[in-house]
Amino acid sequence: MKNKGKSLFIFLCVSPAVILFTIFMIIPTINIFKMSLYKWGGYSPNKTFVGLDNFVTLAKDMKFLQSFQNTVLLIVVVSVVTIAFALVFAAILTRENIVGQNFFRVIFYIPNILSVVIISAIFSAIFDSSNGLINSILALIRGEGSEPIYWLGDQKIVIYSIAIAMIWQAIGYYMVMYMASMASVPESVYESAAIEGASRSRQFFSLTIPLIWSNIRTTLTFFIISSINLSFMIVKAMTSGGPDGSTEVFLSYMYKQAYTNSSYGYGMAIGVVIFIFSFALSGLVNLITKRETIEL
Amino acid sequence: MELISSFVACGKSGTGDESKETTGSATTEDKNQETTDGKVEDTSGDKEDVVIKVAAIETAYGAEMWTKVAEAFTAETGIIVELTTDKLLEDVIGAGMKAGDYPDVVHLATGRPAALTETLIKENALEDITDVLSMTVPGEDKLVKDKIAGGFTESTLTNPYNDGKTYMAPMFYSPCGLFFNKALLEEKGWSVPTTWDEMWELGDKAKEEGIALFAYPTAGYFDAFFYALLYEVGGADFFHKATTYTEGIWDTPEAQQAFDIVAKLATYTEKSVPSNANNDNYLKNQQLILDNKAIFMPNGTWVIEEMADAPRAEGFEWGFTALPAVTTGGDSYSYTWFEQLWIPAAAENKDAAKQFVAYMYSDEAAAIFAESGAIQPITGFADTLEGDNKLFYSIYDNGAKAALGNFAATEPVEGVNFADTVFGTVNSLVSGDKTKEQWIEAIKKDSDLLRSALK
Repeated sequence: MKNKGKSLFIFLCVSPAVILFTIFMIIPTINIFKMSLYKWGGYSPNKTFVGLDNFVTLAKDMKFLQSFQNTVLLIVVVSVVTIAFALVFAAILTRENIVGQNFFRVIFYIPNILSVVIISAIFSAIFDSSNGLINSILALIRGEGSEPIYWLGDQKIVIYSIAIAMIWQAIGYYMVMYMASMASVPESVYESAAIEGASRSRQFFSLTIPLIWSNIRTTLTFFIISSINLSFMIVKAMTSGGPDGSTEVFLSYMYKQAYTNSSYGYGMAIGVVIFIFSFALSGLVNLITKRETIEL
Repeated sequence: MELISSFVACGKSGTGDESKETTGSATTEDKNQETTDGKVEDTSGDKEDVVIKVAAIETAYGAEMWTKVAEAFTAETGIIVELTTDKLLEDVIGAGMKAGDYPDVVHLATGRPAALTETLIKENALEDITDVLSMTVPGEDKLVKDKIAGGFTESTLTNPYNDGKTYMAPMFYSPCGLFFNKALLEEKGWSVPTTWDEMWELGDKAKEEGIALFAYPTAGYFDAFFYALLYEVGGADFFHKATTYTEGIWDTPEAQQAFDIVAKLATYTEKSVPSNANNDNYLKNQQLILDNKAIFMPNGTWVIEEMADAPRAEGFEWGFTALPAVTTGGDSYSYTWFEQLWIPAAAENKDAAKQFVAYMYSDEAAAIFAESGAIQPITGFADTLEGDNKLFYSIYDNGAKAALGNFAATEPVEGVNFADTVFGTVNSLVSGDKTKEQWIEAIKKDSDLLRSALK
């Protein structure tokens, strides 16, 4: 009897969340899968069932493949560079005694509280070809009157310009996350390592990283999700996918097809691919980074 | 910013005119009768008010003119207007429309990123408003079709399906062409080129002085430019064939000539233009003209207002010209850009909505719009303009021909965005990432796909 009451209590407590989750997450997701099988403009009631046609078209759509390529490139470059910087900065700020530690902590975190639109505006100014920060500094080295680098106009480098803005934005956030877990590593471990003659870098690779490994694994999934989402916002606000589609990413291309091109069904097919891709990639990353948890 | 306001004519705070107060209560059926004679007759006051929902995009002209026009319309016909204006109108009305809640009249031009108007065209969700043309303008005794300037209701922008039926009413037209700094040309002793050959000569001269011949705000601005160019190289018939994706049209000598001109122009374009050729930084490209770093840019008359507060070279003075002709003595064209007003097929009060459409062409409404700089395509109206606007709108009196129309509507073709293919690629031509041949190849490929999807 007591058990039954307890079950009822748990059921009542959990049900609001389950109901909301079903209404706002599961049903819309199922709807997207369903709509990806239709040819539909988004407004009228005329939906035509086309089976997997949208996916067949998608596989041959060079612009989609370009946006796929750009997204993968951003995920890889942004994740790798951000992890490296965030880990090093976090280690320095937790392990070393430097003046103004807290000040740096705040400074690094600031980009994260700025809105993406502001970040885009800042980087548009930094990348400006005539009087931007980078080109002005380069002009000092390369001499006045030399051809500037078109950070947002040269199609070969523009995607890296986007990556730079995303890395700058992300470092602080991940740094703080790594700092939190580094702080929980007991000081005595480092002391004994130092007595055994381990150098600073040896301590970093053999102690710090293995001990915060589970944290790093978690952030890898964050990287995948946030790269997909953030790249859309930054691209929208900085280049509108241009010049000539060279910075188009998953979501910006999906938006373009679903709305600008009046192909809502096709847009949803892109949505399905993104959904499956991000799930699969997160799963894969999780699998290959699996290690024995080290406990002290 | 969303503004929703209602105007009620039949209250005490209305116009104070007895007859108008009672007409405020006219029903939809009564409105049908009114359309035949164009006069508002007194009807019994116990019927329900007719309310129409009007949604209008707020552009550079501002939202205030819509409020005033709605007030004047209510005063004239007694039909109450519930007005919604917003800069991102699609976001405000789009969700409601998906759920079946449609405005009765929508003022929203094609060519916007959210492409709501195009989507409704493709989905056959617009009301046929051909009969509005033979309605009398409320408050006047002229027919709508006699007031709308010639050519406006014959293009694919108003008759998207090429079936002789009008689905969109032409609004606020603006001549598009090349804008430049008059003072710069005068100072250097250069004259405005009348042919493309003269244009290239000017380009070479300017290059020696470190000034680029050309800049464009975004590649999307090539639409008006390219349409006018198509008219120049092959005339109206060629334009029609090209914009309906006729087989082999892009292999003709005329098309090649147009491609050659654009590709050559790309080599004369200021190098930093593609970097800023997007919706967020395009003002930097327009600034190149104000700073005398480039001579010409394709644009519309709204650019004057848009750049009103921008710093500029000393003595700067706006100049405006149609596209140079292809041959000496050939026709030169200026594209006429205009916005559209339409009634969704799912609107509830279509008859009252049609009254509203007809009212847009009244002298009263045109005067209110003109106060904010929006010029209605009404015969003879441009003659009444003053100042800068007089210069711009008299371009057609000074020898330039008007180019009208756009690429024909098709069923949506997944993955094919023709504007991106034709205009967007110009960025790659300037940066050198794509060749002219690659560009033409892509146009031909997409054109083939669109042809089979034509409405």
